[in-house]
Amino acid sequence: MDTSKDLPKFAVLQLSGCSGCEVSLMNSDEWISNFQLVYMPLVVSTHKIPEDVEVLLVTGGVRTDEDIHNLRKGRSRARKLIAVGTCALSGGVAQFKDNHIARESFIKASHRLRMPDMLPNAYPLDRFVDVDLYLPGCPPTPELFMTALKEPENAKIASIVCQECGRQKLNDMRPKHLTGSRSGVVLPDICLINQGYLCLGTSTRGGCGALCTRPGHACVGCRGPANPYLNKDPEFVLDNLRRVFTRMTDIPIEEINAALASPWLSLFLGQFTDYTQESDLPLRTKEKML
Amino acid sequence: MTTITYPLSRIEGHARVVIDVHDNEVFRADFQAMEMRGFGHYVRGVPAEQITVIVPRICGVCSTAHQVASVKALEDTFGITPPPLAEDIREVLLLGQLIQNQATSLFIFTMPDRANASSLFELSQSETGKAREFSLAQNALKIRKIGTDLISLAGGQFIHPIKTVIGGVTSGIPREKADQMIQTIKNLLPVAAEMVDIYWEMSMEMGDRIGSWGDDEPTHYLASIEANNYRLNSQRLRVMQPDGTEAPSFDPHEFEAYLQIAESEYSYAGVSNYMGQILRANSLARINLAESLGTPRADAYLKRFVQTFGKPAHAIMFFDLCRGIELVYALEKAQQMLECDLEHGETEVGYAPRDGTGFGLVEAPRGPLIHRYEVENGLIKSADFVIPTVHNMLAIRRALMVAAKRYVSEDGISAELERAVGRVVRAFDPCIACATK
Repeated sequence: MDTSKDLPKFAVLQLSGCSGCEVSLMNSDEWISNFQLVYMPLVVSTHKIPEDVEVLLVTGGVRTDEDIHNLRKGRSRARKLIAVGTCALSGGVAQFKDNHIARESFIKASHRLRMPDMLPNAYPLDRFVDVDLYLPGCPPTPELFMTALKEPENAKIASIVCQECGRQKLNDMRPKHLTGSRSGVVLPDICLINQGYLCLGTSTRGGCGALCTRPGHACVGCRGPANPYLNKDPEFVLDNLRRVFTRMTDIPIEEINAALASPWLSLFLGQFTDYTQESDLPLRTKEKML
Repeated sequence: MTTITYPLSRIEGHARVVIDVHDNEVFRADFQAMEMRGFGHYVRGVPAEQITVIVPRICGVCSTAHQVASVKALEDTFGITPPPLAEDIREVLLLGQLIQNQATSLFIFTMPDRANASSLFELSQSETGKAREFSLAQNALKIRKIGTDLISLAGGQFIHPIKTVIGGVTSGIPREKADQMIQTIKNLLPVAAEMVDIYWEMSMEMGDRIGSWGDDEPTHYLASIEANNYRLNSQRLRVMQPDGTEAPSFDPHEFEAYLQIAESEYSYAGVSNYMGQILRANSLARINLAESLGTPRADAYLKRFVQTFGKPAHAIMFFDLCRGIELVYALEKAQQMLECDLEHGETEVGYAPRDGTGFGLVEAPRGPLIHRYEVENGLIKSADFVIPTVHNMLAIRRALMVAAKRYVSEDGISAELERAVGRVVRAFDPCIACATK
């Protein structure tokens, strides 16, 4: 716990989120010895971001008018801003996308006296400020946090989740229907797609260590699109997923399409469009992605 | 009228305390949650079986409790009983959550208050001394990490875990990994006990220095552990009345007959009461309702606690000491459970989804957590999350009022009030993300 004053200043600003990113960060304690922690209300009683912060991590989405204010103020005081977690990159599970019924019901219920006003959606940071580095994941692993803080330029990140998964793709095991969201026994060592699970690992950015798929849980895409799918047409990723399933399975395409549109997947898959040409957000180039 | 606003730190989420003072008299002390998560709105229409992936995201600190409660609510809806091995693995998972949470609350959130420091990492500016502070911080993070490692072991990953599924858990815990974990616990249990002793001593000193342990008016207590079985993967809710006698226990299906939950005008978090009365949940409620925890070191601490402070004990700073007892308990219990065979045997049963209403209860670190889902045509028609922090809202307000009255006098508003406000809120360890679900 070196608190010597010559270490670069490090701050963590939490907007609207679940604190999961902070909990993950706390499991990678190297930042404590490499930086001087000057602001992180979860662990330090300070209420002001100092003027000369070297690295500012921002977690959570922009959900209230106060979030916009704090984000802009934080940006002006930091040399480098890292957007951390799915909420900061895309609003996270709190974004409504096309779910207008949920949005209406939420807005109706969200007025309070003398409280920050809730915005109609949870927005990504880069809608309001410049972001120097994007660190996606729900939450990013402690290892990814360390990479982001140490040498993100030289980081070698697995291109897709499959690369770290280790499950084998078979040619002669072609399911005819999707297995439910989770049922039956998952066979070890064999690709989840061969077993009929709607796994998004083939299109999702790696670097997570295939934390979910190795023990047998289909990838939900929390790390967002892999490099080849950045800044393309919004349908490009979905087309690729359809191609993967057509090549590896005999599941009818209608079934795949319906599943790709299911609310469970849309929570993360829905935000893949934030990385596309159609998005009204700044281009997220691969150099800025971790 | 003067309105003082205290922003809060070292708690989960965004909240503040607002106190109204007029002519040196306190009119109002309020605890306000400043953001709204709103999961109840956007899980409507979601296929029921997918909700267990979504709701852990209510809170990254409490994701384990939400995941297990969610799965149990669907099992209740579908009429499934998971195998005993799965129930045990879920218990290990919840013990991991308890270790992580209590270590965070004890050492990262509240220990700095005992040394008048702004954070665990800045204790050196206090009287505690550099060398001791260094080992305190290092040890605190090591102990906390046992909790997250246990969650990873039993849950697949330590935030938003995945291994608990409808019908059971996806796999057992291999002997080799259990043995590694046992070794870590064996090494760190004495360290944790020493940390708890230091914390206890610092708390006694703080109590002497301040001259008060905070609001100590007898109150109702709510917990779902049994008197002689501290199981967190729980079944029924119990209530202790202010005089220490027990009121009839109830099943999660019946919660609405006992707990009234309302929205709040000035806060995004709701407020609940027990039959119109103030209630408290969290560590002190459990310890008051427990006869024994069933592990040697923890029971020795329980005995010491009861002998020193009585039973039931009421002052709010006891919540913090009780977290220490529970930290030791959870480490001991996790070791005991890992020594059993959690690898072989049936881990899950098949099921057929059906419509209906179901309830899932677990004892989360902050108290009993209930998920209630109404499923129609396979989709979530409505979802309720009955949140432990919400049960403490009236108790937090009352304790803030007690503190405010203590530090507002004819001489004006004491600067000590700011510290007191922080101590009061942290004693309840509120979780704002959960409370505004």
